[in-house]
Amino acid sequence: MSGSLNLTNDFVVKFANVNGSGSASANSMFAKSVLRMGVPVAARNIFPSNIQGLPTWYEVRVTGDGHLGRRGGVDLMVAMNPQTWDRDIAEIESGGYLFYDSTKVLPESKFRDDITVVGVPLTRICNEVYSVPRERQLFKNIIYVGALAALLGIEIEVIETLLAEQFAGKERLIKANVDALHMGRDYVRTNLTPLGLQVRRADAVGDRIYVEGNSAAALGAVYGGATVCAWYPITPSTSVVEAFTDYCAEFRIDAETGQAKYAIVQAEDEIASIGIVIGAGWNGARAFTATSGPGISLMTEFIGLSYFAEIPAVIMDVQRGGPSTGMPTRTQQADLISAAYAGHGDTKHPMLLPQDPGECFEMGALAFDLSDRLQTTVFVMLDLDIGMNEWLTEPFKWDDTRSLDRGKVMTYEDLESGVDFGRYKDVDGDGIPYRTYPGVHPSKGAYFTRGTSRNPYARYSEEGHVYVDNMQRLLRKFETAKSLIPAPELRKSKTATRTGVIYFGSTTPAMHEALEILASKGLHLDALRVRGFPFSDEVYDFIAAHDRVFVVEQNRDAQLRTLIVNEGDVDPAKLPPVLHFDGTPITARFIAAEIGTRLGATAPRSPVPEAAE
Amino acid sequence: MTLFLSERVRRGGRDLDLPGREEARANIHVGIDWLSSVSFGHINKIGRRVIVLGGGNTAMDCCRTSRRLGGEDVKVVVRSGFEEMKASPWEKEDALHEDIPILNFRVPKSFTHENGKLTGVVFEVVEAQYDDKGRRRLMPSGEPDEHYPCDDVLVAVGQENAFPWIERDIGLDFDEWGMPKVDEVTFQSTRPGVFFGGDAAFGPKNIIWAVAQGHDAAVSIHRYCQGEDVNDRPPPGFSLTSQKMGIHEWSYDNDVSNDARFRVPQRDKGESLKDVRLEVELGFDPKLGFAEAQRCLNCDVQTVFAEPLCIECDACVDICPVDCITFTEDGEEEDLRGRLNAPSLHLDQDLLVSNKLKTGRVMVKDEDVCLHCGLCAERCPTGAWDMQRFTLEMTHATAMTGGGACQAR
Amino acid sequence: MTYLAKPRLHHPSLSPNDLGFTRRDYEGSVSTLCAGCGHDSISAAIIQACYDLNLPPHRLAKLSGIGCSSKTPDYFLGASHGFNTVHGRMPSVLTGANLANRELIYLGVSGDGDSASIGLGQFAHAIRRGVNMTYIVENNGVYGLTKGQFSATSDKGSKSKRGVENHESAIDLVSLALQLGATFVARSFSGDKAQLAPLIRAALAHKGAAFIDCVSPCVQFNNHSGSTKSYDYVREHNEAVNRLDVIAKRAPIEVDYAPGTTTTVTQHDGSVLALHKLAAHYDPTDRIAAMTYLAQRQALGEVVTGLLYVDPEASDLHDSLETVSTPLTALGGKDLIPGSSVLAKINADLR
Ligand SMILES: Cc1ncc(C[n+]2csc(CCOP(=O)(O)OP(=O)(O)O)c2C)c(N)n1
Ligand code: SF4
Ligand code: SF4
Ligand code: SF4
Ligand SMILES: [Mg+2]
Repeated sequence: MSGSLNLTNDFVVKFANVNGSGSASANSMFAKSVLRMGVPVAARNIFPSNIQGLPTWYEVRVTGDGHLGRRGGVDLMVAMNPQTWDRDIAEIESGGYLFYDSTKVLPESKFRDDITVVGVPLTRICNEVYSVPRERQLFKNIIYVGALAALLGIEIEVIETLLAEQFAGKERLIKANVDALHMGRDYVRTNLTPLGLQVRRADAVGDRIYVEGNSAAALGAVYGGATVCAWYPITPSTSVVEAFTDYCAEFRIDAETGQAKYAIVQAEDEIASIGIVIGAGWNGARAFTATSGPGISLMTEFIGLSYFAEIPAVIMDVQRGGPSTGMPTRTQQADLISAAYAGHGDTKHPMLLPQDPGECFEMGALAFDLSDRLQTTVFVMLDLDIGMNEWLTEPFKWDDTRSLDRGKVMTYEDLESGVDFGRYKDVDGDGIPYRTYPGVHPSKGAYFTRGTSRNPYARYSEEGHVYVDNMQRLLRKFETAKSLIPAPELRKSKTATRTGVIYFGSTTPAMHEALEILASKGLHLDALRVRGFPFSDEVYDFIAAHDRVFVVEQNRDAQLRTLIVNEGDVDPAKLPPVLHFDGTPITARFIAAEIGTRLGATAPRSPVPEAAE
Repeated sequence: MTLFLSERVRRGGRDLDLPGREEARANIHVGIDWLSSVSFGHINKIGRRVIVLGGGNTAMDCCRTSRRLGGEDVKVVVRSGFEEMKASPWEKEDALHEDIPILNFRVPKSFTHENGKLTGVVFEVVEAQYDDKGRRRLMPSGEPDEHYPCDDVLVAVGQENAFPWIERDIGLDFDEWGMPKVDEVTFQSTRPGVFFGGDAAFGPKNIIWAVAQGHDAAVSIHRYCQGEDVNDRPPPGFSLTSQKMGIHEWSYDNDVSNDARFRVPQRDKGESLKDVRLEVELGFDPKLGFAEAQRCLNCDVQTVFAEPLCIECDACVDICPVDCITFTEDGEEEDLRGRLNAPSLHLDQDLLVSNKLKTGRVMVKDEDVCLHCGLCAERCPTGAWDMQRFTLEMTHATAMTGGGACQAR
Repeated sequence: MTYLAKPRLHHPSLSPNDLGFTRRDYEGSVSTLCAGCGHDSISAAIIQACYDLNLPPHRLAKLSGIGCSSKTPDYFLGASHGFNTVHGRMPSVLTGANLANRELIYLGVSGDGDSASIGLGQFAHAIRRGVNMTYIVENNGVYGLTKGQFSATSDKGSKSKRGVENHESAIDLVSLALQLGATFVARSFSGDKAQLAPLIRAALAHKGAAFIDCVSPCVQFNNHSGSTKSYDYVREHNEAVNRLDVIAKRAPIEVDYAPGTTTTVTQHDGSVLALHKLAAHYDPTDRIAAMTYLAQRQALGEVVTGLLYVDPEASDLHDSLETVSTPLTALGGKDLIPGSSVLAKINADLR
């Protein structure tokens, strides 16, 4: 029909499925096949807190220009779930396409007339070939991938290769899958014509890798030298530990004895998890836990202990929608304040804010150096969007000359040489004292660790000035942290501007795309991506250098902005918040519209309703 | 009639009748006489090389005085070993400090002389041997005799208490050393009505003993005069007063000092050797004196135990730095001593054994090692231990109207 | 309490152990607990046990939660690293410390509030994981540090100092530990060091989760009549099933025990536990029987003490996790970082 979208290497396909139907791996294969054709994709799972039966979506943005954020809108809906049919159909862009299982005849009213409807009788094809119900279910997914490949111009050989890789060594399975794939393709070839949406081979992927942030962070922990991991299952952090377990099983087994050079304990709760981490950190091991908001809430007493008794710990917080159980399978950046200030009394903790899986790896490793160096809890703040979705990201890099920075630790020899050891003594003026590992020396260096006030020699004291000195030193240490936290990244606008924007984490790709959209409308902004907390002076210099600085984040209460205002001398009025918190990843369209409106320009396109589910 | 003899009567100390004594008599002096001559100003110099024979405090006085009267090469030669010497340790230290060597295990054999002038002393070298009963005897070591040249000898061996003027047939018995036999409690000799005290009774001690013995003898004399049994004496009195001030504060200084003895500051050696009348010890200044006083173990403060209060919580046992408290089944003393938390090393020191406690056990405390630190009482939740100052009230002889008995206090 | 430091002066016969340390060398800072608190006696027993065991103080790590009892690690083993963690959470910290360095000896000290009330979960899980540790609960039936509220081990029907009766059932940590699979379970009394010190010594030498419930009267808040954790009550109701002698490895067993009176158990480290039976037919290696016996005796109001159960073949959490014998803390970058070439392969797999 006329008015149909004609887009090459720049469209959004959304799969609407039923949780537990085995669609995830087929959908992921679909995304990967586009990648293998040299065309970047950004794919996101939108799934319920449920094991089977509830609706789940998978959104693939085919983006030749490499915009990895969520765009918003759907150009092709693969509608496989009758339960969400109506809203799925409603979500399709005008001129877009609907792909559905046409086995069952549906009334006219179920469709829209401004879209192209493509029906493939998937169930019928399946039922003709397979008799086992589970096979019918699984191969139906592969059949639609085959059909889509034919409709969108995806090279079938690419998918065949992917299948061969996935089922390497299981020839029978490969064959069965390839057969199913061909069934879909052949049906389209015989009965239908290609759509206006087309994938064309390109060279825009480069050497980038395609990986989930949780795996990347777990691999970071392996490279960061973590040996002890304690955890309690919670979405969306569980796969961090699953990946860590897998990587350890591969890379951390002693070749001679077959024994493990790591210890992973599934604790009884998050309190025990962080307790185990702190115990291990106290004793000299690198230890971490992975959790999400509810876990952080439970851990706060221990985090305060780590702060005050100065014990290294790493927490990977894969943020999800709060408060309370909130939206357990949706994304948000809403733990910033609870992590930054976790614990009663005056406490604050360094945080690392990765933008993508590449940085999850980097910061996942760095966090251990920092926590040893700063002798405190360091947070790596992932979110569900980065953590549980595969992202196209720069390949992991490792400098083999890099060694584990264990920070200020007194060895047997140091103690033997007669240095004056005071566990909480600031010898170097950077607020960081020396520590000893238990058992290091028969007669020197032992001390009693406690969360109670004590003097520089770790002896209990509730004298006012002793307490104040110690608290001031902790502040000095936090100052020192500023120089160790990765510096913010500045994107200067090509045109000089007095307007800026600050953002972080998974907002990054959408933000970058939004900047382009805004620039095309003549709205120029300098952009600063903060990469950690505490904020270095560059953040405040940036704010000072602009009249207005938008702070874009994915929570209701402008938590990053609160931290910025709280930690520096900034007039809050200068920092208009741009907030997105419906649980779906923020989109370029949303940011551009928000900032565009506030800067007085017409939005490039009216905002589409977010996340119809 | 009663007679109380207390004067320190002495016949100048013993002489040494060895070969050469007569020939060299001009340069052989009896130490104690020589010292008094010095003290009275009759003697003001001595030869360059001096040998002092003897190991008591008189010998120490002799050698150090010699150093002040021109003796440059002064030595002390003693029969016994260094440890067994009768001189007080600090006197020995002081002598050594004044460059006076002390040669032990040497028994003088003869004086050598030439032309009627002393030239030196020959010594036999001996060694200590112990018989089955552990008694020490000095036996020749077999080494060749030694000869030490000298200009003067001071003989400071064993002073004798002798009572040449007491006739030996008056019912007053003397021992083999020529000392009267005296009852240690009553100070009465074997002849009723004759009492001895001070040096005259048991040989040289110090003035404190002399005063105490005087008191006791006075009681005896009083009773004797009243025609009463001297052995039937009123015991001394005492009082105990709690020292508790607050929950962990005591009205005595209970913090045990870990300091070793402080040395009394001394005058510079060069200076003090020039003048026999100069005091060598300068005495403590207030600060040092205080620090030394802190070392006092407060023997006058006693741990007093009250059985009914004790809940047997072990707190006192756990805190006692010297492990002197034990809760155990009751038993005979010897058996009890074998079951203490720390062995009792001095059997002559009493154990404090409580009455039976609630569990049937007893509390046993070895008083020997107690530091009087009061920690047991501080840790005791019920006040079963208390630190109480003990004041001894001696029995004084006082004539009582009418009665004639001795009054205590 | 006392504020003066305990004098360094000691009994002249105080003798060093094989390592050259005297018992006094195992002491810590001076206790700040109430005079007569049972917890101080347990500290003294720990000191005795470590001395007897010839334990190098720096090879032991002492951990505790919060409470009067949890303060005590400051008062013994001054040369050991210690960690006073948060209320009820010592077990997890100890577990982490143990995972990090399996070569140290771990001593956890806790209170009944710390372990049976707020920390019951962590207590249970550390035990069921088989963490190699000695876990002592200084059980006084009250929260001492917060001034005498009932804890979860207060017996039903027992009375507070103010005369209020406790209507809640008591948690018996010993039964719980047995049920949870602790491989060394004992109960003792702070007022019976002769029983307690050898138990601690044996527990420290035990490989696996060793638990000692030590009744420890709170003289301040729970030593009145009507209390079931008072000195008097425990003394009256104490039923010891056995007396323990620990014979160091290598030391020949010289004592000839009359047959049937003594059971010997050889522990993992070679030390021998000689258990002199006080209760006929009590077999400390039979877990089910121990649980039954305890239940029967407890029903009669008795406080059963002694070494109640020991599994000399016990294994620990490191065995289950199959960790390397080198402490994880001792592993460096070479052991832990797969390096850039491995990373290149991982990258390739992710394209
Ligand atoms: C999270 C938390 N809640 C409450 C407290 C207050 N608190 C300190 S000690 C204690 C009870 C300790 O009881 P127990 O473990 O039996 O020790 P005890 O003092 O009797 O030896 C409580 C409730 C705390 N420190 N932390
Ligand atoms: S006073 Fe000191 S040394 Fe004497 S028994 Fe008491 S605690 Fe021990
Ligand atoms: S501290 Fe007091 S109550 Fe406790 S055992 Fe000693 S004397 Fe008895
Ligand atoms: S309150 Fe009770 S438990 Fe706490 S120190 Fe005092 S006696 Fe001990
Ligand atoms: Mg308690």
